[in-house]
Amino acid sequence: MSTDTDTDPDLADEEAREKLVDLAAQFYDQFADGTVPSMNIPTRTKSNIVFDEDEQVWVYGERHSTRSANSVRGAKKLLKAVYTIEFLAEQLEQDRSSTLRELYYLSESWDVEHAQFETQDQSNQLIEDLEIVSEVTREDFHMRPEESGATVMGPLFLREQTRRGEREIHCQEDVGEGGYQIPNNPDTIEFLEHDADFVLCVETGGMRDRLVENGFDEAYNVVVVHLKGQPARATRRLTKRLRDELDLPVVVFTDGDPWSYRIYGSVAYGSIKSAHLSEHLATPEAEFVGIRPEDIVEYELPTDPLAESDVNALESELEDPRFQDDFWTDQIELQLDIDKKAEQQALASRGLDFVTETYLPERLEEMGII
Amino acid sequence: MTSLQSQLGGGSDAGATAEELAEGQRSISIAEFFEKNKQMLGFDSDAKALVTAVKEAVDNALDATEEAGFLPDIYVEIEDRGDYYRLVVEDNGPGITKDEVPKVFGKLLYGSRFHAREQARGQQGIGISAAVLYAQLTSGKPARITSKTENGDGARYFELTIDTDSNEPEIDVHESASWERPHGTRIELEMEANMRARRQLHDYIQYTAVVNPHARIEFHEPGDSEKFERATEDLPPETEQIRPHPHGVELGTLLKMLEATDSYSISGFLQGEFTRVGAKTAQGVCDKLRDRHFGREMAWRPPERHEDAEIEPAVRGAVANKRAEATAAFARRVTQEVREDDRVAHSTVAEVVAEAADGVEAEYDQTFGSTVREKATEAAWSEVAADRTSDCYAVVDGATTTRKDDAVVDGLARRLAETFAGQDDRRNRLTREELRGFVDRAADATEEYDDATFGDTARENVTAAFWDRARTVPDDVPKVSTVADQRDAAAELLEAMRETDILSPPTDCLAPIDEELVEAGLRKEYDADFYAAATRDAEVHGGDPFVVEAGVAYGGDLEEDGEVEVLRFANRVPLVYQRGACATVDVLREINWRNYGLDQPGGTGMPNGPAVLMVHVASTNVPFTSESKDAVANIPGIVDEIELALREAARELKSYLNKRRSLEKRRRKQNVIAEILPVMAEKLTEVTGHGPLDVEDSLARIMNNVLLERSVNGSTVELTVHNFDDTMVAGEVTEIVTADPGGVDDATVVEMDDEWFLKWDAEVQPGESATLSYSVEGDPDFDVSVEGIEPEKLTINA
Repeated sequence: MSTDTDTDPDLADEEAREKLVDLAAQFYDQFADGTVPSMNIPTRTKSNIVFDEDEQVWVYGERHSTRSANSVRGAKKLLKAVYTIEFLAEQLEQDRSSTLRELYYLSESWDVEHAQFETQDQSNQLIEDLEIVSEVTREDFHMRPEESGATVMGPLFLREQTRRGEREIHCQEDVGEGGYQIPNNPDTIEFLEHDADFVLCVETGGMRDRLVENGFDEAYNVVVVHLKGQPARATRRLTKRLRDELDLPVVVFTDGDPWSYRIYGSVAYGSIKSAHLSEHLATPEAEFVGIRPEDIVEYELPTDPLAESDVNALESELEDPRFQDDFWTDQIELQLDIDKKAEQQALASRGLDFVTETYLPERLEEMGII
Repeated sequence: MTSLQSQLGGGSDAGATAEELAEGQRSISIAEFFEKNKQMLGFDSDAKALVTAVKEAVDNALDATEEAGFLPDIYVEIEDRGDYYRLVVEDNGPGITKDEVPKVFGKLLYGSRFHAREQARGQQGIGISAAVLYAQLTSGKPARITSKTENGDGARYFELTIDTDSNEPEIDVHESASWERPHGTRIELEMEANMRARRQLHDYIQYTAVVNPHARIEFHEPGDSEKFERATEDLPPETEQIRPHPHGVELGTLLKMLEATDSYSISGFLQGEFTRVGAKTAQGVCDKLRDRHFGREMAWRPPERHEDAEIEPAVRGAVANKRAEATAAFARRVTQEVREDDRVAHSTVAEVVAEAADGVEAEYDQTFGSTVREKATEAAWSEVAADRTSDCYAVVDGATTTRKDDAVVDGLARRLAETFAGQDDRRNRLTREELRGFVDRAADATEEYDDATFGDTARENVTAAFWDRARTVPDDVPKVSTVADQRDAAAELLEAMRETDILSPPTDCLAPIDEELVEAGLRKEYDADFYAAATRDAEVHGGDPFVVEAGVAYGGDLEEDGEVEVLRFANRVPLVYQRGACATVDVLREINWRNYGLDQPGGTGMPNGPAVLMVHVASTNVPFTSESKDAVANIPGIVDEIELALREAARELKSYLNKRRSLEKRRRKQNVIAEILPVMAEKLTEVTGHGPLDVEDSLARIMNNVLLERSVNGSTVELTVHNFDDTMVAGEVTEIVTADPGGVDDATVVEMDDEWFLKWDAEVQPGESATLSYSVEGDPDFDVSVEGIEPEKLTINA
């Protein structure tokens, strides 16, 4: 993967293009041999995810599925793949980019009906397939997701290689209250300087705004990363780089419910859909701040009862190897026991400053971060 | 069922109708009778009358030609004459003489032998004469008949009327005529009619053509005409007439048979008039008749020597005025003989006495007259029957459950013994009904006095046990003349016949169309893609054997929309009315046709789609729902066979449709993939910048096809057959070359008009290839083709 930010972007593009053409050449040779064109990709399901002990991240297991021209479905998929390869190769050549949705609509202009995508899921999935088989990330294909990336606020000075030239930005001084917006490909960023002690990833926008309003980033030299729910790849990639390149501890602050624990899991260990990129995206050193079920009890936070789906999710997390440690076992069992969950903003019940003046400092000290 | 038929000339009772008409209905005129019964006869409306008349005349014509061994050539013409319709039906049968004319066309009054069993079209035998009568009654015109026999001196023309006063057919005109047919019969009827039932008429004619593939039929109607050619030159096999089966006759028929027979004894009558009855079976029936007619005699265990009752002294005492030693010998013999058996009935004693008397008479020269014998019999019998109680106890005890209290068993046995002792008939002779009466009475008393219960089952068991113990009497069975005069005796005989196990009737009296010809018939009249037929083995219902056949045609030009077409036949006659009442349709509706690949909304009822379903029931006596013989009755055994036949034919349809669907799927797949691969190859060429690609190999592999490729290398030509399928393939490869290849190994070479045909028989195992090679000079043209492999599975890249 072209993670090396020092390389000439044109060279990276050329490499990505070559890899795509190689893939096409592979199909070409299969035809020439009179065999059936096919490509082999890991099965992207929960049951085919294994934990990589060395990297401490989740990666795909041994199981593969074959996309082959053997069946009408397979042939259609491969045809779409070939057309997409051509499109991506041209896009790289012309140094342009497009969104996943644009690819879906663009396929309508292709001359052969079987090559056109029927749903956007199809095109999204194909891009994932191509990423895996060609070992080039979609960012390097110049494909971006629809939604804008999340934001960063904190004592961090960086340089972004934009389409309109280089920009040097300080993530506190050069940005508004909204913070610095993470680009789709964070590998275009070069960290210049920083004055940060740690990175705090926050699940909800409300809490992120509270921290900024209360000046938490300034008070504690924190880079506050807004996760916006399940974090986008770019957010996770940036977090990983902050950890790896600047050697900053990373902590994750979410709601106190099973879905939020999964958000922590995807930051720390990687997600199922992008397990092929786990080494690239996951930050196994990331630690969980809260809200812990223990906090619900300790701070007597206002709560909601667990729904049946919450209970099921908690129980499946008890079985989930990602949560097989004493901390998570204790917390999840406690939560099942008290049958309650709480949001981050429930801390406001003790006053608007409670989170920045009491809760976070106490927790972070406990964790040895400050 | 049969009771319906016997209302009027049903199946087996064909002639009975005629006779009943002649006897029972003399008081009313034939016209009146006809008027009353025309619904049953199929003449209830002008429209239906025409269909029925055509049907009767054509059935008659077909029978006449077939019986004489001619391939039927039938001409039917319907002409609108303003006031009336004129119907002409001609056949190429043997022709008939003047004497036969009334019998054939006035058969209403001249029934054939009523008990003949044969698969024939017009079972009721009243058919064509009813048409003649209908025509005469509505138009007042006689039936005009022209006939020419093979060896006769030209054609004869007759006009036939039925005298409605005397109920006799009369020939009014009889003259010579000229007719172009070498032999045959032509009937011309004028009648009130209309063409409103045109569809049924057409169905009838077309279905007749289907089911008689050996017949040629020409049909003319006002404004239209149609010809149905024959599909086979083979006549259906001749059917054997069989005598009726004892299980298949009704009381009325039996009485008539008894009257008509030349036999004197019942045994002779049974053996002579019925099928499957030999001496042994006749004996079985006679014994059962004796049991019913005379009753049985209860048998008792004779006393042992030491018991109170002593036979020997009793017999000695009964003999008077005989020499002492003869008397003693006589008594000794009787005693010994009686003790031989432990079930001794009165008749047994009488036999033993008679035997002993004869022996002693010979030995001692002493006459033992009938009086002595009787007295001795009575004396011995009294001793044998002296202790009925212990016998009764044993029988009752054996026939009742162990739960019965011993006192109760004893009580019942005692009362029964008393009843037997007090019976008017000292011989203890009684019918089964009387026996049951005895048991009932004794059981009632036992219930009352011994506080026990004797249910119906227990009573029946006891009765059966006693009946088993009782002996059939040796009396002579009544003579035929006696039974014929006594309805009750005849009923007893019928019961006896029904209760006797008798071999099923032979089935060679049936002429199924057979699978091959059912298919041929369908093929002839329906342009479909697929045909199948099934003929079941013969089965027996009542006394009548029957065979069911089914046929299916599917696809092709058959109507796609709406219900399938249903063809119903009974004895090769199409049934075109009362479809809803017919057992065949009931069965059709109940089968889940979706299982067999036909569309069936709701999974029940008539299936839809481009199919023809046909059912043929052949029997010596097809059970119809009514006299007009339009619908087969719902008889379980026949219904089962109809279902099995349909399912059998449908299974073939299913496998055909499955195969067709899988080939269709394959074709669709191939079409799509064959569209995609070249586009993909072209795109790959563009993206990679390599040279153009050939996708045929990949395509063949994807389709698991057989791929045939030609490569030419100098003068060597190689045809390679790759089998990508998982089963072995075999086919005939033909290469046509425009130059002389000389001799070729393993191939036959034939030259025609400067083209050389090279033929190989190629067999290729799954996953393997075979190479066929030859040499040819110059730059010839090639053309290769393969036979024996479905085109869907074949890719030729040459």
